[in-house]
Formats: sequence, structure tokens, C-alpha cells
Amino acid sequence: MTEPGTASGVTEGTGTPVVSLSHVGKAYTSAAGTRVALADITFDVARGEFACVVGPSGAGKTTLLRCLAGLMPPTSGEALFEGAPLRSVPDGIGVVFQDYGRSLFPWLTVTRNVDLPLRVRGVRRDERARRVAEVLASVGLADTGRQYPWQLSGGMQQRVAIARALAYRPDLLLMDEPFASVDAQTRFELEDLILRVREEFGVTVVFVTHDIDEAIYLADRVVVLSRSPGVVTEIVDVTLPRPRDQIATKADEAFARYREHILGLVMSRS
Amino acid sequence: MTVTRFALWYALRPWLLRLGVLAAALGLWQGLSAAGVIRSDEFPSMTQTASALWDQAKTATLWTAIGQTLQGWAIGLAIGAAAALVIGTLIALNSFAYNSVIGVIEFFKAIPVIAILPIGLVLWGATLTMKFALVAFAVFWPLAIQVCYGVRSVDPVVRDTASVLRLRGPRKFALVIMPSAAPFIATGLRVAVAVALIVDIIAELIGGGSGVGERILLAENAGPSVYPIMYAYIVVAGVLGVLLAGAFTLAERYVLRWHESQRSAAGERLKTYPERTEVTLAVSLSAGCWPGAHPGVAVRGAFGRVVGVVGRLEIAVLPAA
Amino acid sequence: MWSAGSKSLYFPPLESIVKALWTQWVTGPARAEFASSLEHLAVGYAIAAALGIGFGAALWSLRYAREATSPYLYFLYVLPAPVLVPAALTLFGIGFTMKVVLIAFAAMWPTLLNTLDGMRGVDAVKLDTSKVLGLPRWRNLLQVVLPAAGPQIVAGLRNSLQVAIILMVVSEWEASTDGIGYYIVNAQQSFDYVGMWSGIIVLAIIGIVANLLFVVAENRALHWYYGARAVEGVSR
Repeated sequence: MTEPGTASGVTEGTGTPVVSLSHVGKAYTSAAGTRVALADITFDVARGEFACVVGPSGAGKTTLLRCLAGLMPPTSGEALFEGAPLRSVPDGIGVVFQDYGRSLFPWLTVTRNVDLPLRVRGVRRDERARRVAEVLASVGLADTGRQYPWQLSGGMQQRVAIARALAYRPDLLLMDEPFASVDAQTRFELEDLILRVREEFGVTVVFVTHDIDEAIYLADRVVVLSRSPGVVTEIVDVTLPRPRDQIATKADEAFARYREHILGLVMSRS
Repeated sequence: MTVTRFALWYALRPWLLRLGVLAAALGLWQGLSAAGVIRSDEFPSMTQTASALWDQAKTATLWTAIGQTLQGWAIGLAIGAAAALVIGTLIALNSFAYNSVIGVIEFFKAIPVIAILPIGLVLWGATLTMKFALVAFAVFWPLAIQVCYGVRSVDPVVRDTASVLRLRGPRKFALVIMPSAAPFIATGLRVAVAVALIVDIIAELIGGGSGVGERILLAENAGPSVYPIMYAYIVVAGVLGVLLAGAFTLAERYVLRWHESQRSAAGERLKTYPERTEVTLAVSLSAGCWPGAHPGVAVRGAFGRVVGVVGRLEIAVLPAA
Repeated sequence: MWSAGSKSLYFPPLESIVKALWTQWVTGPARAEFASSLEHLAVGYAIAAALGIGFGAALWSLRYAREATSPYLYFLYVLPAPVLVPAALTLFGIGFTMKVVLIAFAAMWPTLLNTLDGMRGVDAVKLDTSKVLGLPRWRNLLQVVLPAAGPQIVAGLRNSLQVAIILMVVSEWEASTDGIGYYIVNAQQSFDYVGMWSGIIVLAIIGIVANLLFVVAENRALHWYYGARAVEGVSR
């Protein structure tokens, strides 16, 4: 157990970082002037790492995620994915949005929702069926294939969304406050689920959240953003032991110290 | 570019495109007629139609015809809408009445109004009464259903709040039920405005009532030399439709501006996806200010007024389904 | 409402009308008119639906075309279509073509505008999801945007059906040699009020049956939409 403190921006792990942001900024022009959502964001995410992004509301967390996904080009600075600049949505990215109700396609069954990206990539039918079954089993939804998303509970719907994002084995999984719309109990289950799935699929994760406990529980590193205009206040290495446990890890003294430190950072600028 | 000029350009660019399209279309029409591709005895040229329109506008004929059409439209709409509002509300407030009568109303709504025309002719002949009776009949059934639906769809949370606040009877009706039902009623009325015009024109065209439809019929029967007049009146009918529908849309936006459906989805989208400003443009422009800006910050002066007018025109004329 | 012993010339006894329905429409010569009208309606409506959705989707994809033409689309939508009958007569004469063209042209607009509006109103989250899943443009259009716009497209199709039925009758009213409209006009002019009423009732039946069929088809095609909304309602 190490003390929390200022972290290095240095990546561990071998090879190019999966994501590399340097001095990324995003500004929206509208008539009353320019609104700067992100001012200067610099950090890297190494392969296999679980990075959480926290910050007060209005810090531009969602904007950051959308830049990382390639949905929106930054207005300044450079965003690289696997070493190449992000111009549009690249192939190896999966995204889980906060609002699963609006992201899942209600006219398709669970199976067809999950196998859609596979069809797009030309995977053959038998292989598709196998992969869909596999990924649904990993998220614990083995028997729901023929139901429609709206027939499932909120937590189950978000699992479907996760399954869909993982079905095509992306290199990077981006999650935008994915558990904010589910109840607390379900949230803990889903947190453990995502850790398990990350081990199983070996995917790199960038997880945006406003819940600091959640961020510390899940992360290898926590990127703390400041209030608008967003800059990186600090990057905190979280060296709590893995595998994490909802009760044991959160009872750890180090956990409390991380929480105190990060909460201080987040609240001090407000 | 300064903010003002940017706003002006953004507001005006679509209209420049549209004028361009119109000019091109009219030019094409005239060109095809002049080149003989369109036979002049079948279809008049653009200039012929335009001059026929102008001639008619100079005399009283055009305006009388429009007036007569509007009479049937207005009276029929008023009667039908009033009846639908009153009866629809009464039915909706009483579950027993609703359940017994709704089938009948749906039944009559499905009857194509054109089927009723011969009855109207037989009862009243080719008169104004026939026209507005037909219009009222056509307007009543769908609108009554909309009113019922609106009154019954009061949000349960709102209804419970009203109970807690001890609102009852006429107070509750005026303060809670009517405002909740208002958007549904507005949609129903918008459709009614269009339906009323169609039925009115059918009554003139086929039934022989007086008005724009009648003018078209007369021109058609009088032979090819008078076809330009026929097409001129067709254009008049279309313009009338646009004006009436557009006026209604603007009135609706004004009356319902407090309602959240007006504040909208557009506003929500703007917050989550600030780069998507297109959708809110028309609404914001009509208020003379820019999407995302503080309401107090408006584009000032003459430019602001132009932008405001264009924005309103945009709302009135954008396809409103 | 209508006693069997009605003496009025204009409102003949119900009994005789029902009899006429049988002798004329079910077993008699008017069957040809019925078939003829339905044929016009079916062909015209099918064309209108296809063109409406097709052009609607096209205009959704082409932003400048959409911006430039939207007021004209609206103009044609609001134009009372029966107004075009005389013009259609002069251009196409009487007969099948005129009626089908008229029905198709008039009924196209509600579907077109509703398709366009529905597609533009598709939730931005769905569009983002589609991009992120890697759907190419054509898949996005066919497999995401069109289904998402489905409910509104169907509303437009229903509106179009009503317009088509009206135009079906109106186009057969003057200078026509077949169809239900022709039958009714003929009956009215020969003072055959029983026949006239029977025609009116047939029209009413067509309207009602068409509406029912539409509702059935809609419930099947949009079962996902109604299912999702039902769930939403309960959880409130």
C-alpha cells in the first residue's frame, strides 16, 4: 500500500499508449462568445490500464469522452489513438453511454442489438451466434437473447450495452457515467462486472464518473479534471491491491486517504 | 465576421437558396413552354399564368372568391371546433360516457368526408350553408377525439398535486386540465385548419359552392383559352393553405410558449451536444437571439429585427407534420 | 335514427338501402365499380408510400436540397389536393392514368413530410451509437434512422391513406366512366337516392375497413414501440 500523491504521467506497460492526449482543447463558438469546455488536457492511457476521469459537473468530462471516441474533433492540441490521430470514430473503440434507454435500439432484440456490430464487420452467422452467446454469458445475461431491451430492468439493459460494446473486441472501452442511472445496489454489481470483464477481455478502459468512490474502486489511475475550462488538475496512481472487493477494499485505510485527497482536489476549485 | 453579420448570414442563407430554387423552377417552366416541350393548349406557360393571376387580382373576382372560400372555412371551423371542444371535454371527464361513446366517434371519424357530400348537396344545395355544414362535420370527429385524449392524459403527478392543493371543480379544470390538454388540442386544431380548407374546396369544386374552387371549375369548363386562369386559382388555393396553416403555427407557438414541449428537446440536445445548434436555430432566431446565448444578449438593432422576422418565417413554413 | 318507414324522398327507408347494397354491390353490376375504385386506390397509394418514404429519406441525406425545398414541400402538403383534379383532367384525360397519378401525387406529401421530420428527430444518442458501432452510411439510414423514425412514418402513412381515399372519390366524380364516385354522381343525377345512399355506405365501409386494416398492420410493425411505451408508462 503506497501513499497517494502526485502521480507521474508516465505510462507503464509496453508499446505505444492506447490513447494519448496532448494539450487537447475544445471550444464551442456561439454568438455570445466562445465557450471553452476543455482548455488543456494532457494524459496517456497505457494498454490494459483502467483509467477513471473525475471532476465537478460542467468540467467537460463528456466532451472529453466524445473527443476520445472520435465523435468530435478537438479544437486544439492532438488526440492520438494507437498512435494515429483521431479524425473520425476508429475501428477498435467501444462506447457505453450513460443513457442506455436511448442507446440500445428498441426495435431489435437483445441478440440482434449485440450482433449488429458483428454484422457490420462481416462476421459469418455461426461465428456471430457464438460470439454473442459468449459475451452475453460474460455479462450474466445468458438467457435474455430473445427479449427486447425495454423488457429488461435498467441494470440488465446496461449490461446489454456493455455486451454490445465488447462483442467486437475493441482495444479501448469508453464509458460515460454508465452506472449513474441505476440504483446503488445494482451499481456495485455492475462495478464488479466491469472489473471482471476487463480481466477476461483484456481491454483498456477509460471510465468517466462523478462518483469518486467508484473511480477509486475501479481505477489503476484517476485523472482529476478541474472545473470549466477543463485542465488536468492531477493524475493519481491508485495502487490498491487487485482483485478489488466492495467491502474489503473500501474498508482499507488507503482507500479513505485516496478519497480524501481526490475529494479535496475536486471540491477546492468550486 | 462579427456576431451580427454571422447571425444574419445564417438566417438568410436558406432563404437565398429557396429563392434560387423558385427562380430556377419558374424559369424551367417558362423555358419548356416556350420551346414547345409543353403543349400550350394543355398547359399554359408561366408568364400566361402569372398574367392571368395578375388580371384576376386587379378585379374584384379573385378577392370575392377568396372571401367566399374563407367564409365557409371560418364558419365551419368555428362550429366544428367549438362543438368538439365542448363535447369532447364533457365526454372525457366522465368515464362511463367516454367508454360508451368513443366507439361511435371513431366510427364516424373513419368515414371519408367525401361520402357525406352528396347528402349535403341534397339537403342544402350549392350554398354557403352546405359548405360550412360539411366543414363542421369533417372537423368535429377527429378533433373531438383529440380533445378527449388530451383531457384524459393529464399527468398523474400533476393530478395528484392538484388534489393535494385541494383544487376542485371549475378551478381545477381551468388551471390544471385545460393547460395540460392544450398541446393535444393544439395539434388537433392544426390538423382541423387544413382539413377545413380541403373540405371547403371540395364543396366548391364538386358541390358548386362559391369560392376559389368554383372559379377553378368554371375555368376548366370554359376551355383551353382560360386554363391560365384555372392554374392561377390553383396557386391561390395553395397560397391560402400556406397562409392559414402558417398563421396557425405562429399563433400556437405564441400561446403555448410556456409549455415544455416548446422549450423542448431542442434545448436538451443543446446541453448534451452543444455543437448541434441547427435545431434550435429557428426558435432562437425568432426571439432575435442566438442559441446558447444568455436570453438578455440579443442581436441588436435593425439586424436583430430582420433575423427575428426570418426566424418566425422559418417556423411558420418549415414542414410541420 | 332512421325509421324503416321513412317517407322523405331524400332519406329513403333504411331497408331499401340495405337491399340495394345487396343487389347492386354484393351481387350486382356495381361490383365492377368497387373493384375499379379499389384498384386505383391500391396502386396510387402504393406509389405514394414508396415515393414519400424514398424522397423523404433522400431529402434527409441531402442537407442543401432539403433547406432549399422545404417551404415548397410544405406548400404542396397544405395545397388542397382536389384543386388539381381539373388540371389532371386536362393533362391526362379521363381514365386509369389520371386517377392513379392524382392519387399518388396528392397522397405522397404527408408521408414525405412525416418521414423527413421523423428522421430529423432521431435521438442523437442513437446516431452516436451508430457511429461508434461502425455502421456505414447506408446501414445507418436503413437500420437505425428509418426504424427510429418508424412511428412517425406510420403516422404519415395513415394520413396519406385518408388523402388517397378522398382523391379516389373526387377523381371519379367528374367525367369518369367507372368507380364508386361515378356511381354516386350518376345515381344522384338520375334521382336514384336509394342508389346514392348505397354508394355512400360503401364508401363509409371502405373508410372504416381501411382504417382497421391499418391499425392491425401498424400494431404488428410497431409492436416494439408500443411495448416500450407501455413499460415506460407503468414505471411512472
